[in-house]
Amino acid sequence: MAGAAAPAPAGAGAEPVLELSGVKKRFGGVVALNGVSFSLRPSEVHALVGENGAGKSTLIKILCGIIQRDAGEITLDGGTYDPHTPGDAKKAGIQVVHQEFNLLPYLSVAENICFEDMPRKAFGMVDYPTLYAKARKALDAIGLGDVDVRRPVESLGVAHRQLVEIARALMGESRILILDEPTATLTARETERLFQIIAALKAKGVAVVFVSHHLNEVFSICDRVTVLRNGESVMTADIAATTTDQLVTNMVGRQLAAAMAAARDLDTSGRTALSLRNLRHPASPHAEGVSFDLHYGEILGIAGLVGSGRTELLRSIFAADLPLSGTIERDGQPRHYRNPKQAIRDGIGFVTEDRKEEGLILGMAIAANVTLASLRKVSRLGLLDKREETRLTRALGGEIKLKYGDTADAVSTLSGGNQQKVVLAKWLANNPKILLLDEPTRGVDVGAKAEIYALLRGLSEKGLALLIVSSELPELITLSDRILVMSKHRIAGEVVRADFSEERILNFAYKDERNHGHH
Amino acid sequence: MDTTDLTTAQAGSKTIATTTKTVLREAGIGIALIALIIVFSFTPHFLSSSNVTNILTQVTINLVLSIGMTFVILIGGIDLSVGSVLSFCAVVAGTVMTLPGLDPAVAVFLATISAIVAGIGFGLLNGLISAWWAIPSFIVTLGTLNIARGAALQVTNASTIYSFPAAFNAFGSQTFYGIPLLFLIALVLVAIGWFVLTKTVFGRVLYGIGNNEEAARLAGHNVFFYKVAAFTICGVLVGIGAIIYMARLNIASPIIGIGFELNAIAAVIIGGTSLSGGRGSIVGTLLGACIIGVLANGLILLGLSDFMRQMITGFVIILAVILDKYRERLTKA
Repeated sequence: MAGAAAPAPAGAGAEPVLELSGVKKRFGGVVALNGVSFSLRPSEVHALVGENGAGKSTLIKILCGIIQRDAGEITLDGGTYDPHTPGDAKKAGIQVVHQEFNLLPYLSVAENICFEDMPRKAFGMVDYPTLYAKARKALDAIGLGDVDVRRPVESLGVAHRQLVEIARALMGESRILILDEPTATLTARETERLFQIIAALKAKGVAVVFVSHHLNEVFSICDRVTVLRNGESVMTADIAATTTDQLVTNMVGRQLAAAMAAARDLDTSGRTALSLRNLRHPASPHAEGVSFDLHYGEILGIAGLVGSGRTELLRSIFAADLPLSGTIERDGQPRHYRNPKQAIRDGIGFVTEDRKEEGLILGMAIAANVTLASLRKVSRLGLLDKREETRLTRALGGEIKLKYGDTADAVSTLSGGNQQKVVLAKWLANNPKILLLDEPTRGVDVGAKAEIYALLRGLSEKGLALLIVSSELPELITLSDRILVMSKHRIAGEVVRADFSEERILNFAYKDERNHGHH
Repeated sequence: MDTTDLTTAQAGSKTIATTTKTVLREAGIGIALIALIIVFSFTPHFLSSSNVTNILTQVTINLVLSIGMTFVILIGGIDLSVGSVLSFCAVVAGTVMTLPGLDPAVAVFLATISAIVAGIGFGLLNGLISAWWAIPSFIVTLGTLNIARGAALQVTNASTIYSFPAAFNAFGSQTFYGIPLLFLIALVLVAIGWFVLTKTVFGRVLYGIGNNEEAARLAGHNVFFYKVAAFTICGVLVGIGAIIYMARLNIASPIIGIGFELNAIAAVIIGGTSLSGGRGSIVGTLLGACIIGVLANGLILLGLSDFMRQMITGFVIILAVILDKYRERLTKA
């Protein structure tokens, strides 16, 4: 296997097995892909990188037949490739390991692995001995010798589930394997194992599309890289001929790079708006919880890995989940919010991570969404004043540069960035003093992203206290005055602006994991 | 940026389309009703004033129950207990109305109050249980369906109550220019329901919760209160429905109202309200109840058997939902 990883520019010069040109896809008013060109050679590992919302997931869904493209050419081995169902893609030899789990939790590991092609006996009965043997072989091949194939999938941890998913994808004789964020839930050791598997596949002539946010992984195992931005492919290069800086600049675009450069000098001298002492979310294993102070006029960033308790922290402040223990002080006064309503009355707003599930009422009008948290302002004696509602919506819409047709349009007709602005407007309508923001630019295009950054800076200059959770470190580094790094539901460290660097933050974020690794 | 400008331009042209589509929704149901009326008007007696009175009388009770059902379905619930609860409300009111020694006017007044109170009681029960323990209202109201029916049988010892005050009976058969007074009362309730759902904060939040409960909760709304309120409103309308039933048929019995919940749900669904909540209107429900009434009456005039009528009504319910799927697709595209 060691020898397999070595061969240089894999498949260089060979005819591409898969080729895309000018692929476009639109969902209602939202352009998801606006001309993607991409080619995949046999025996190469090709990285697909780009920010959230750049179009990676859409592209993968088109390749595996979940959705169909609106325009553009896709050829597979020189012939037109136009899958209408995931079955078509599998028949053509394209396998995908999706970011979200597609496992059947109550069935056994073996049944999951062989689900697409169950070994049978007479009368359609399942041939269990063969089933278990096949699954055993598949798990051993990816180094999961210690997992019992009879166990139900729900009893496995996330990392193991991800590996089972990969084992399932490898069951089919695929020529093209697409891995969508395969390492997101893996530890370092498992990631290493996965890379060996990829190298072995490559040696067998399989072409791999590798989607990842982690550029260091891209540089360690990929042969070529394609960058997507705003639904377009903006660059393709040999890994050897590019640099991290080049990739990042292409990912975020010049406009955002400029917005980031405009980082300001800060001021954390404001009065304390919110003070947490030992606040513990029910999901937190640690009694000491989280403690920190948030000041007026300050932007406090919260970094950390997925699952480190960042969202839970915001939810327990807002009483979306009631904290187990600990205290909250607002302007120096103790508070015990029993529900979001009380937190809102006390001047707090919460821009949630998932705007479709928690932030917006998609089927309802823009105006109805904007006033959802401030209906008292646009009503008298319980009667809605729709004229006032429209006025307020237009005024806020202008302030935040919302692009819309009519305030009565359903919010679902807006693009991701504009939807996110509606969520912001909903809270701004209430004149909050403190704004909690969870992934404020997820799924937002680059233009809107820069506008949201400017908006958030403006709010903090007006004296609002902002607490921002983000998985994008450049975003936190750009916006924050201070960054707290969370790990396993605790504050693992604090970094002040003068010391901001991705390495420092990541060191804190991985602190616990590394300690565990040494046991 | 070119892309954003493009999106804005599209959003602009979409506005008109969106509004037209919203109007078309209800207009579509209205057109179906008119088409049905035109078809049936070829039968000899359909448009005679006595038949129109007849249709409106038959529509009335279902319409009143459907208004309450609309509130419950809009918030994402369902109330299977309305038929049984109507029966329970009626026997309670009937018992009060026939109490010996009461002045007729006082008896009717007290009976009306008691029917509504009984309806509120069951509405609260449905709402509190399903909201507090987060139990699907389908199951809770399946339970109260049996409880109310059993209670009605228990209270009356399975006997029918009749001989209400003469004035009460006369009130039930009163008409204005051929329109039954009871139907006019139902129309007033429709108007109130429409007002509450479209003009008040309460109605707005109700739609919001039906669409996305978590988003409404995180925007500071008391989801528990609204759920209980929707079931309680449904209970009030069931109580009123019980009095209307008694005024029309002059009896109160523990075996009335069987299957009424299904007719009410059918009217709401035919009227374009989504069973998953958050989408629909009282005007649609009014039209839906009228379609069911007109269909039943017209099919009788065509000389079809009861059995055939039931089958056709069933097909219409399914057809309405299929058509709604297409409308949904139109709105999304």
